[in-house]
Amino acid sequence: MEATPTEHNLPLRSGDFATLSEALDYAARGKTGANFYNGRGHLEAVLPYAQLREEALEAAARLAGLGLARGSRVALVAETCPDFLRFFYACQYAGMVPVPLPASIHLGGHKAYVAQLRRLLLNCRAEVAVAPELFLSFLREAVDGLELRFAGTPEQFREVPKARTPLLPSGPEELAYLQYTSGSTRFPRGVMITQKTVMSNLASIIRDGVKARPDDRSMSWLPFYHDMGLVGLVLSPMASQVSVDYLKTRDFGMRPRLWLSLISQNRATVSFGPPFGYELCVQRLRGETEGQFDLSSWRLAGVGAETIRAEPLIRFAQMLAPCGFNPKAFTACYGMAECSLAVSFAKLDLGLQLDTVEPEALALEQRAVPFTPSRWPGRGRGKTFVICGTPLPGYEVEVRSPEGAVLPERHVGTLFVRGPSVMSGYFGEEDLTREVLSPEGWLNTGDLAYLAGGELIITGREKDLIIINGRNIWPQDLETIAESQPEVRTGDASAFSFTMENGEDRAVLVIECRDANPLRREELSTRIRSLIRQELGIDCFIELVPRNTLPRTTSGKLSRSGAKNDFLKRVQEGRTECPGLEETRRAGSVAG
Amino acid sequence: MNTYEDILQEVIALLAPLAPPGRRVAEETDFVADLEFDSLKVMGFVEKVEDRFDISVPLNLLPDIRTVRDFAVQLQRLLGER
Repeated sequence: MEATPTEHNLPLRSGDFATLSEALDYAARGKTGANFYNGRGHLEAVLPYAQLREEALEAAARLAGLGLARGSRVALVAETCPDFLRFFYACQYAGMVPVPLPASIHLGGHKAYVAQLRRLLLNCRAEVAVAPELFLSFLREAVDGLELRFAGTPEQFREVPKARTPLLPSGPEELAYLQYTSGSTRFPRGVMITQKTVMSNLASIIRDGVKARPDDRSMSWLPFYHDMGLVGLVLSPMASQVSVDYLKTRDFGMRPRLWLSLISQNRATVSFGPPFGYELCVQRLRGETEGQFDLSSWRLAGVGAETIRAEPLIRFAQMLAPCGFNPKAFTACYGMAECSLAVSFAKLDLGLQLDTVEPEALALEQRAVPFTPSRWPGRGRGKTFVICGTPLPGYEVEVRSPEGAVLPERHVGTLFVRGPSVMSGYFGEEDLTREVLSPEGWLNTGDLAYLAGGELIITGREKDLIIINGRNIWPQDLETIAESQPEVRTGDASAFSFTMENGEDRAVLVIECRDANPLRREELSTRIRSLIRQELGIDCFIELVPRNTLPRTTSGKLSRSGAKNDFLKRVQEGRTECPGLEETRRAGSVAG
Repeated sequence: MNTYEDILQEVIALLAPLAPPGRRVAEETDFVADLEFDSLKVMGFVEKVEDRFDISVPLNLLPDIRTVRDFAVQLQRLLGER
């Protein structure tokens, strides 16, 4: 078996297609394609775009044979494998809407995963669900009692008879896919992205962000159900006709060095990851790296998907400098599923660009005043942020105050964006859509940011989203797990996270508990912690507090920010002992 | 040569350095409740197992594993299938 080549003769077209199927029609005229590597780094499957197109058309004919309404949702358990691509593009050719579903399961998480699949299948009202053999038993349980036209493996799907009528691919105004934000597992939100929307973002990413070259080669271990994994590393390589090498996320998690080996071996030029991916490499590589890799081909090491801290990336660059890693390859970017993917890209070939500001003005006045050490003698260090670049062409950005006023440069506020790749809305959720998307097309990103010289700097999140190891965790998911216990009443739990001194986020769940028995309290904490690990794969600190401790708003709603402030006060006063937070307390600087 | 007891002892030996300080690992130890494993620690552990036994541990086994015993039983089955 031989991987698809990097070099090819097909003239580069930078995503300037009306639809994804048109883009694949063009890519299929070349020799490039997708390559899949196993957990040992061996090539397991090769899928040139030409073959992908043939096989997608065949699957499309079978999809059409099911007699579904146009635009029906086809749920795909998005394991990193060739079948995902076949079915994703089959939907494009058949006028159906693919819905990538998570393929991530945690130790002891059987029930939680099945429940999650079921919630998503119900939310998108799927007519078809396809899962690889490994996931079939979970899918079977998840569809129990639901009336789907088909639920099974790609092999089983081959028994569906083909339609005889010609295929009518999705047009520019039709949906290209539905993307569940890597957000809440309990309260899913399916982002609706049309062909026109995604193609606009792909063209921008390829032309203005990545500045694609005909001899580029991509490499990715990002999940296919993640916006950066799907749009950035599945659709974007295809729409720019370059070859791409895939490693399963799980195999990367197990052996992070495979990311670097495959880049070395295939001379990849473009690869993205969340900061935590780079950090994991640093943690697991240990010791000498010289001679192990050759990363000199890696011209664009994209960083995004969570707030970017510079230190781990600098350590990564130092550790891999002997292997030819160029620190100027680091390119920070900003985006979200609601914008298809990208909103801004830092300028290429400059490496991480940092902005250091005066911490007090930031904390007290929400102003990002450039830090000058001489002006602040003895006032400690400045606070450093990574610059995420200027917005892509066609994008407008506004930083607004809590009252909605547009703020000048270097004032921190909520970031609103408007542009050609903003979603149509959340599927079947008009109220939720109205909350974030104005009739004029302004999207509330929920992120806090400021502008400096027209460049975007993200300082944190306004929404209560918790990000741990690159995964988004929604506080309501943690709260619902607590409330599902018989001892905890609805509205008696509040979840949030805070950033520790080392820059890592820590999830906290404060629960009002009526029971005074220490043994039963201990048992309850342990049980909830275990359930959270099984469902979400993260550690969470549980604090049980007396009744009426959690602060509420006038309308009786819990205030997560209030609960967080009270918690931090208890930690600082030593009234709550939380392992791992003690150093933070002693340092006397619990960051918000 | 791979009896259940051998495999169990190997698994316990691989787990011991990953356990929270002072925590003993035994057959009944629960990965999540006792060892406080999150998804990254699980991956680190599975890597060690794969390297030690030269096998591939299928992802779909994990959701039904809670204790060290569950893991050792599955591992013995995987080794038997080789």
